[in-house]
Amino acid sequence: MTSPKKKNKKQTTVANGWVARIDALSFDTVAISILAILMALVSLTILLGEGAGVKVGVSLPEDGTVGPFENITFTFSEPFDPEITSDLISFDPVHEGYLEWVDTYTMRFVPIQPFEKDMTYKLTVSAGEVTINGREVKKAQTWDFTAREPSVAYLISENNQSSIWSVDLNGNAPKRLTDETVKVISFHVAPNGRFIIFTSVNEKGGIDLWRVSREGNDAAILLDCGFDRCTTPVIAPNNKLIAYSREAAGPTPDLPFGSPRIWIVNLESGADGPVYEDQQILGYAPSWSPDSNKLASFDGLADFINLIDFQTGEQFLFPTSTGAPVTWSPDSTKFLYTTFEQTEGGGRTQVKLADLSINETITFIGEKDAYDYSYYSIAWSPREDRAVLSMRASREQLTQVLWVFDPTLLDGIVIAGDPEYTYNSPQWDPWGSALLFQQFKLRGQYKPEIGLWQEGSNQSTVLIEGIMPQWLP
Amino acid sequence: MHNQTVVNRLPRNVIVWLAIGILALVASSMLPAGFFSWLWDRLNVFATVFLGIFVEAVPYLLLGTFASGLVEVFVDRDQMSRWVSRRPAAAAISGAFMGMIFPVCECGVVPLTRRLFKKGLPLSAGISFLLAAPVLNPIVVLSTASAFGWGEMLFWRFAVSLVIAVVVGLVFSVQKEAGEVLRPVLAGEEHDHVHAEPGDSIPEKIRKALLITVDEFFDMGRYLILGSMLAAGLQTFISQSSLLAIGSGPVLSVLIMLLLAILLSICSTVDSFVALGFVGTFSFGSVLSFLVFGPMVDIKSVMMYLQVFKRRAVMYIVAIPFMMSLLAGLVFNYFVK
Repeated sequence: MTSPKKKNKKQTTVANGWVARIDALSFDTVAISILAILMALVSLTILLGEGAGVKVGVSLPEDGTVGPFENITFTFSEPFDPEITSDLISFDPVHEGYLEWVDTYTMRFVPIQPFEKDMTYKLTVSAGEVTINGREVKKAQTWDFTAREPSVAYLISENNQSSIWSVDLNGNAPKRLTDETVKVISFHVAPNGRFIIFTSVNEKGGIDLWRVSREGNDAAILLDCGFDRCTTPVIAPNNKLIAYSREAAGPTPDLPFGSPRIWIVNLESGADGPVYEDQQILGYAPSWSPDSNKLASFDGLADFINLIDFQTGEQFLFPTSTGAPVTWSPDSTKFLYTTFEQTEGGGRTQVKLADLSINETITFIGEKDAYDYSYYSIAWSPREDRAVLSMRASREQLTQVLWVFDPTLLDGIVIAGDPEYTYNSPQWDPWGSALLFQQFKLRGQYKPEIGLWQEGSNQSTVLIEGIMPQWLP
Repeated sequence: MHNQTVVNRLPRNVIVWLAIGILALVASSMLPAGFFSWLWDRLNVFATVFLGIFVEAVPYLLLGTFASGLVEVFVDRDQMSRWVSRRPAAAAISGAFMGMIFPVCECGVVPLTRRLFKKGLPLSAGISFLLAAPVLNPIVVLSTASAFGWGEMLFWRFAVSLVIAVVVGLVFSVQKEAGEVLRPVLAGEEHDHVHAEPGDSIPEKIRKALLITVDEFFDMGRYLILGSMLAAGLQTFISQSSLLAIGSGPVLSVLIMLLLAILLSICSTVDSFVALGFVGTFSFGSVLSFLVFGPMVDIKSVMMYLQVFKRRAVMYIVAIPFMMSLLAGLVFNYFVK
């Protein structure tokens, strides 16, 4: 049996032996040996790495749920050829969308149609070549995901405070997304449902743009507008660009703000600037086309809707004086907007249809109305064959009802028409199968409510009290 | 006969210059049109790049030489031997972290290391300090964080730099005779003109530190100018865009970024912002190897290393970090990112 002391002594001797051996080596021998080892390791790494092939990562959340219009990003471990690589990517069931090149290593899938609810999708990146010089993904990879059930974001304004809240459609308790330290004026939910942009007054009296995630409690300033007022942010369907209305501060605090102009801030690059170089073009109520290539806004001074096509650089004007935002057809070729026209019978609101594919604008609804129906809010659903319009139901009734109709047949039903209430600001869910809207009871205590209508039902329901409802996909 | 007399009367060097002038005129007439405007453009680029590198580096060289002066007058050999372990591994690790106390970039670290060697800093500690200090210091931590955020790039830049510095430090610990790798000025064969005496007052010590700073600044400054000129020359005539164009693939991209790191000779305090521009075009591993290797080795720092170390040692100081940065870049490209 060896005593611990003897064992330690033996170990020390062994260790000293190694040290002595290393000490005996010359500096050059050690340095050159290290270089040789490094060279061998580099060769081995290249050998193993080449054998492993190109790796692919996908931006899917761990819980496997995505927003209905979630962009799915593919990151390759090596530069890839987008044309060759796109053949390797498939969805089961097949889903309509396009692949967009982001940079040397990254590509993303942008869905044109929303991922279906209650459907499990299988995303596959097949084995095969991804570069022209033959580098390949060695082994096929698959990921499963489902589209999450959308919630609703809305504003609660009380005691001189206003905050954004969210609530699901399953009756769970609402969740506060912004705390009492920021007073929210308005907000817009990103089409992918990942974040919300909102506006809040700053210490200088200007209005800043803020950003908060769908989970909330992480609000941070996105754009410090200083003394200027940045309002009505609208996020493009590509989730990268935000159009907003900017009013420049006066030269001194007692002078009024300048007229609103449309600006765009790019969330990826941080670039921020006016849409139109011409300072004479004013604008608010921006509205993006579903393909994110066109932007409409209202010029209140000239009484025009300005439309700009970012792909061609073309600009168009559409006369109107109502100032309401336009609503786009799902294919981005047409939009509806309201106007106020003087007819033989007197002043009438009308709904116009602008068809950009044939450069034609027609009066769509209200050309020969016997009285003014006060067409107000209008929303084209993601389904081509459905839209909703808020309007007076009859000559006697001053309140607004919501009429869901087929734009090709102009045939529809009133889905919210209680004469005690007035309804407006309808918003379609990503599938065009449910509507959120604002409703107010005309008599009694002021109590703004959020209404909900779902396909297959003739009746709407009250979801919760609050204002400015928007889907949180 | 008469002509012969005239030729004899002209001095020989005038004849040579005349011949050169005539040859130059003949050669210039044979050059393609636009050559001189091209050359002028190149010279402008050269001057701009040279000034860019030099002006960026000079303050840090001044900071490093000032730190060197302070070390000379305020630190003695006994203190140094108390502070730094003589055991190779401990000395290499402590040397790597000394950058946290001396925030110098690769231009300033050379004179400071030279001074620390004179004060008896072990070779392993000095080498790991030389390689790690340009990265492992508070200024570079903040600049890297502001470019890449407090995330993976920052962590791996420091981790990989630390490992490389310690490994090279350990390799040099095998060399027991410092004189075998250091140039004679450090091996005690040459001496400074200014020395601190034990009885010197603080103002006197500071005066001496400043004198040493000036001496050393002009001494190392020559090599900084030479290194900056070389880097500017290479940048002028080797197109960065053509290098970047061939830099795809997991191996080539790392090699190109390592070459760029040598070529660009950017100070470690600002190189993160340059590297940020390569994100998206180059892989994580390639950008990481640029950020790790650049502060350790570039043209101007090699010129300065040659004033401190013998050529053989400089070769190892360049080659081992190069191979280790390459290995790190490849591992990230193939297996991590």
